[in-house]
Amino acid sequence: MNTSSPPLNSPNYLDSLEREATYIFKEIAGQFKNPVLLFSGGKDSTVLIYLAVKAFAPLPVPFPVMHIDTGHNFTEALEFRDKLAAGTNLRLIIRKVEDTIKEKNLDDASGKLPSRNFLQSYTLLDAINEFGFDACIGGGRRDEEKARAKERIFSVRDTTGAWQPYNQRPELWDVYNGRLKKGENVRAFPISNWSELDVWNYIRREQIPLPSLYFSHRRECLIYQEKLIALSDYITIDPTDVIVTKNVRYRTVGDMTCTAAVESNAATIDEVISEIENSLISERGETRIDDRFSDAAMEDRKLKGYF
Amino acid sequence: MDILRFITAGNVDDGKSTLIGRLLYDTRNIETDILESVHSGNNAALNLAHITDGLRSERQQGITIDVAYKYFTTTNRKFIITDAPGHFQYTKNLITGASNTDLIIILIDARNSITDQTRRHSQVASFLRIPNVIVAVNKMDCVNYSEAVFNQIKSQFLTIAAALNLPPLVFIPMSALHGENVSTVSENMAWFSGKHLLAELESALPAAMHSQKNRCTIQYTSDTGNGQWGFGKVISGTLNINDMITIYPSLTNSQITALISNGKSSDHACAGDNITVAISGNAALKRGDIIAAGNDVPYCTNSFTATICWLEETAPLQLNSDYMLRINAFEVLGKVTEILHKTDISNFEKYNDDTPLGVNSFALIRIETESTVAYDLFADLPNNGRGIFIDMGTNNTCGVFRIESE
Repeated sequence: MNTSSPPLNSPNYLDSLEREATYIFKEIAGQFKNPVLLFSGGKDSTVLIYLAVKAFAPLPVPFPVMHIDTGHNFTEALEFRDKLAAGTNLRLIIRKVEDTIKEKNLDDASGKLPSRNFLQSYTLLDAINEFGFDACIGGGRRDEEKARAKERIFSVRDTTGAWQPYNQRPELWDVYNGRLKKGENVRAFPISNWSELDVWNYIRREQIPLPSLYFSHRRECLIYQEKLIALSDYITIDPTDVIVTKNVRYRTVGDMTCTAAVESNAATIDEVISEIENSLISERGETRIDDRFSDAAMEDRKLKGYF
Repeated sequence: MDILRFITAGNVDDGKSTLIGRLLYDTRNIETDILESVHSGNNAALNLAHITDGLRSERQQGITIDVAYKYFTTTNRKFIITDAPGHFQYTKNLITGASNTDLIIILIDARNSITDQTRRHSQVASFLRIPNVIVAVNKMDCVNYSEAVFNQIKSQFLTIAAALNLPPLVFIPMSALHGENVSTVSENMAWFSGKHLLAELESALPAAMHSQKNRCTIQYTSDTGNGQWGFGKVISGTLNINDMITIYPSLTNSQITALISNGKSSDHACAGDNITVAISGNAALKRGDIIAAGNDVPYCTNSFTATICWLEETAPLQLNSDYMLRINAFEVLGKVTEILHKTDISNFEKYNDDTPLGVNSFALIRIETESTVAYDLFADLPNNGRGIFIDMGTNNTCGVFRIESE
């Protein structure tokens, strides 16, 4: 057996993860004609942009960044997006779910906490067709969710954007096969192997700015199934609802309607990291209302073109 | 803290997923909400396998179909676990999962001893040259923790290891279900003097990237008004500013005039570093090029002998037909002109017959390429001596090969 005392010269884990990711970015640039980086305003896609800038230094990132705007975003995330795009000279494309709903005459999400999660896939697939994107780069991580844990780094989607989980291409070493037929596209995941804590430790080490939502702030929330949902114009407040004002932060940033806040006084990166280290609940379990409907909610969304 | 990537391979009911569930559970890497979702309906017993079976069909059929990745950390290490399927028909998924690992755990059910699948998993470990192999004899609780049973399996496996030239092995008797010799020493197997699995995982050495051969792969290039930048990675050895280099396979000579390593200007880069380079003169880089510096140069030919594992279920390897071959970022059309011999997985003996090479089969082949390829032998420098076959019709990755000789 190839053992001894702990290796002295093996690279730090954050360096290994960073190198894996920047290598993947260059494979994407080398293999595809028209890639795009999908940005959500959250910490994972923010780290993704940082890594892309690093991968292509000294030149600018050779592809645009796209935000699929659901119309249910946190203001803080939108402001952060615009500032980040301006500061990094990235070309920012914005496509709105609201426009897709009008054009296609779709039923908008309804209910007490209307989630446009499902409608987002239509806007994404339309944008892929509009611009002819052949690779969409996302911040999905395998530790987030059990269907994501099964996906390749280069995940081939058919002409309808669907994932075929039972027929994935073999993916050997770091030799990623991005060859496509017309109409197919690849979803590429450079930070597949990062955990939530890895992302935070990297953010701390590299001093990457984040939206203020990730740190403790006072917010008015309603209590829904024991979760804290921010008050906003997008949700319906009933007379029986319990409304509270608490110190909260967000562990993930999605739509205002389906992302729950967590009670927290963690105001700095160090405090956030120690809070996550001590947390007994997973990231998505604590904050996502949309995964709670069924055991296979994410798999089903991916089958229909979701990221 | 560093990273160790390992894979668990075993037969259908050898308890792979249970073992992974156990490791995550014992190292407190499963959160409460996920634990709740794996408590099986009526009894309160944990269905640890549900933690890794991420697809609906896998949970319904109770089997692992494709690779799943799980993560856990201890104070010293981040671990990336690859949970791979056991079924013969999913061997190609096993190879996908095993290709990026530093260590393989081959699980054997103490009641069943060594099976065809054990031989196949061992062959994959040998083919990919995984540097650490742990043989976990599981379900020892079902054989009364018998040392004799363990020793018998151990001696049988040593015969396989010799035939396949596997690295030195570690054998561990265990019960994943009861957590014995997983992260704590088992009292029921006091006769075993080795370390438990987690201790072995914490001390194993990750695959080394050290080599005297200086090689960089170029993945992408960009021409600016002021000249060209090449983006790539040092796959072996080092690269320094002002190094005299040769670009393969064009055999153009040049010099490194600017070097950026992992995003920062630098005089020096070494194996694993991502680089951006500018070179002197009129020489130009393109995707797929190999940059080499120093006297130890790559082979540069248009034919070589390789071991292949065929991965396509729907079509066997076609002799004298074009495939796209890919080594690092280099792509070239190539064909297999001859099958020198196939390998019988039941005894690892060489044989020849007229049937085509089908899915999950291994053979030694002769490859001819349309143009010159710059490569190293897999035995000398694995990451410049291995590659994939791509079917030109489907674009599928249909084979994986390692170069054995010129």
